[in-house]
Amino acid sequence: MTDLPGYPSRRNFLKGSAAGFALTGIAASAEAQVEAPVSLDEYETEYLNGAEWAFIMAATARLIPSEGDGPGALETRVPVFIDRQLAGDYGSADDWYMEGPHAPDAEPARGWQTPLTPAEVYRQAIPAFDAWCQSSHGASFAELDAETQDAALTSLSEGEVELSSELRDFWSLLLSNTKEGYFADPQYGGNAGMQSWVYIGFPGARAAYREWPERHNIEYPLGPVSISGERA
Amino acid sequence: MKTFLRILAGLVLVGVIALLAFIFVPVQRTQPATELAADWQPAEGQGKMVLDAGDCVACHTSDEGKSLAGGRAVASPMGTIWSTNITPDDDTGIGTWSYADFRAAMIDGVAPNGTHLYPAMPYENYRLMTEEDMRALYDYLMTEVEPVSEPNKETALPFPFNQRWGIRAWKWLALTHDAGFAPAGASDAQDRGQYLVESLGHCGACHTPRNAFMAQDGVTAAEDSFLTGGVVGGWNAPALRGDAAGIKDWTVSELADYLATGRNAHSAANGEMSLVIEHSLQKLPDSDNIAIAAYLKGMDGDAVDLPETLAAAGPTATPEAEADDAGADTAEMLVSADPGMPLGARLYSDNCLGCHFASGKGAPGIFPELQGNSLVVGSEVSPLISVILNGAELPATEKRPMTLRMQGYADRLSDDEIAELATWLRGAWGNDAGPVAAADVADVRSGDSTH
Repeated sequence: MTDLPGYPSRRNFLKGSAAGFALTGIAASAEAQVEAPVSLDEYETEYLNGAEWAFIMAATARLIPSEGDGPGALETRVPVFIDRQLAGDYGSADDWYMEGPHAPDAEPARGWQTPLTPAEVYRQAIPAFDAWCQSSHGASFAELDAETQDAALTSLSEGEVELSSELRDFWSLLLSNTKEGYFADPQYGGNAGMQSWVYIGFPGARAAYREWPERHNIEYPLGPVSISGERA
Repeated sequence: MKTFLRILAGLVLVGVIALLAFIFVPVQRTQPATELAADWQPAEGQGKMVLDAGDCVACHTSDEGKSLAGGRAVASPMGTIWSTNITPDDDTGIGTWSYADFRAAMIDGVAPNGTHLYPAMPYENYRLMTEEDMRALYDYLMTEVEPVSEPNKETALPFPFNQRWGIRAWKWLALTHDAGFAPAGASDAQDRGQYLVESLGHCGACHTPRNAFMAQDGVTAAEDSFLTGGVVGGWNAPALRGDAAGIKDWTVSELADYLATGRNAHSAANGEMSLVIEHSLQKLPDSDNIAIAAYLKGMDGDAVDLPETLAAAGPTATPEAEADDAGADTAEMLVSADPGMPLGARLYSDNCLGCHFASGKGAPGIFPELQGNSLVVGSEVSPLISVILNGAELPATEKRPMTLRMQGYADRLSDDEIAELATWLRGAWGNDAGPVAAADVADVRSGDSTH
């Protein structure tokens, strides 16, 4: 994969990863047993096709950017989380009521009204949004520069992008799935190395802090643990 | 030369005759210490109590089978011994046994046809039963238990252990004690406890070390090794007397709670003891569990205060157990949540601290304390490894019906991590036991260890 204009470069990605691992502190020795995952460039998607993957990489990188404080969506492998979720029960709305009747035009407070599953929403909305980017900004989303990408996402979030009512939840899905991938347990593919937990000081699945609630204004020093026992 | 040959031939002949006699001449049955009147009747419920206290059901019932119909595999160092059908079925059980036959099996270890019973049957201990209890148990088995037609599985140990006449020689070494019970006379409760411990409960079968002949190294309190701890199938049956006794800091009341419910302010029953509590001890009257506790606590000469009841009905407010002096440093280190703590402590913090707490004292009646816990600091490490890998479950008992369950950590922790954690546990809060190797963990994980 070549570095595309506006696409977070591999160099930035590596810088982000290094920062992430620096944040994890003692992780170096404790996590020696955990195999390093394949890089996002070499990751083989379970659901997303090439163009969709390029979009997700580019979009999540703007929603939680790598510059500034803390790790970004790419260092924490949010795209992997989204790909795996769409390939699984969530993507196929496995345990949702999907029989209809569907009223995609119903007011949003009435919940999930589209007949499409989340995976289908992504599949249909990404090309539609890319087409809008093409006509409004002259290139598909992933090929735009960061500033224009931000503008395009802003338009999407404000409902200025013409999408069929079956696809109207695309923006909120994309945003919430990105946040979930950033903060969920690493076993789901995102939050790599528990970097987001380290960043916000969340100690993970330890659940043993009974001496700490009374200790006001003292930072809890121990890094997080994941559900599968990784330490950072 | 001729004379020498003649003497040699004579000696060989005498030897052969002696061996044949040893194999074929029937064993003299031990006679009862007291003769009961022919019309003697057991008290109401006495036979059932003896059956429960003797824990007959645990061995003589298979997982899927009918009660007392045998067929449970009893693991022994020599191989698998199958327990037998002791329902009163004429063909497959003990329906045709006379009372004298029954007593001989219970105290001499001999079946009516002269077959010597393997000492997996604790006749070393039942030998100390009173004649009254023996009769009550016989009556109960013969009249209260439904006959079940269930053919016995043949125990087939490798040579030489399949030569059952050899057990006769073993008995010359092991059954040197008189039949019947001799109370020490400390108090009524302690004498009752002594009887239950020495005889019916056959506690010594596990909690007394085995001597060079695999016999219990002492079957009564008069012998120094009695109840000083044994090893059974890779598990420690902890010492119940002396400085090494895991129960030395327990009160009579706490010990009685443990016997009746499998849990108390300190510990939670596990392994074989869990079965003993489930099948036997929880069914005894409170007074008997208090008596056992009083006797055990009195063995080292401690003053014994008898509680009136045990395991009071809840809900009871149990105050949080604070770390003691020996555990203070460990507790402080855990509470500090210092990222520089040793890996074992970090693993404890990540996985165990939520229930067993920084004090290592657990929660009374719920989560066992790990400080001084005989399973944690035992000479055998596979039980501790097994609990970490596979978790554990407390049996439901009448007074404490909740089956508390600890999850296993086989998926969450590697062999190296469990070895680090177990090693750390064995040295935390003043514990002082040796390290655990990752290879030990791998053995337990793959099922190569003894359980």
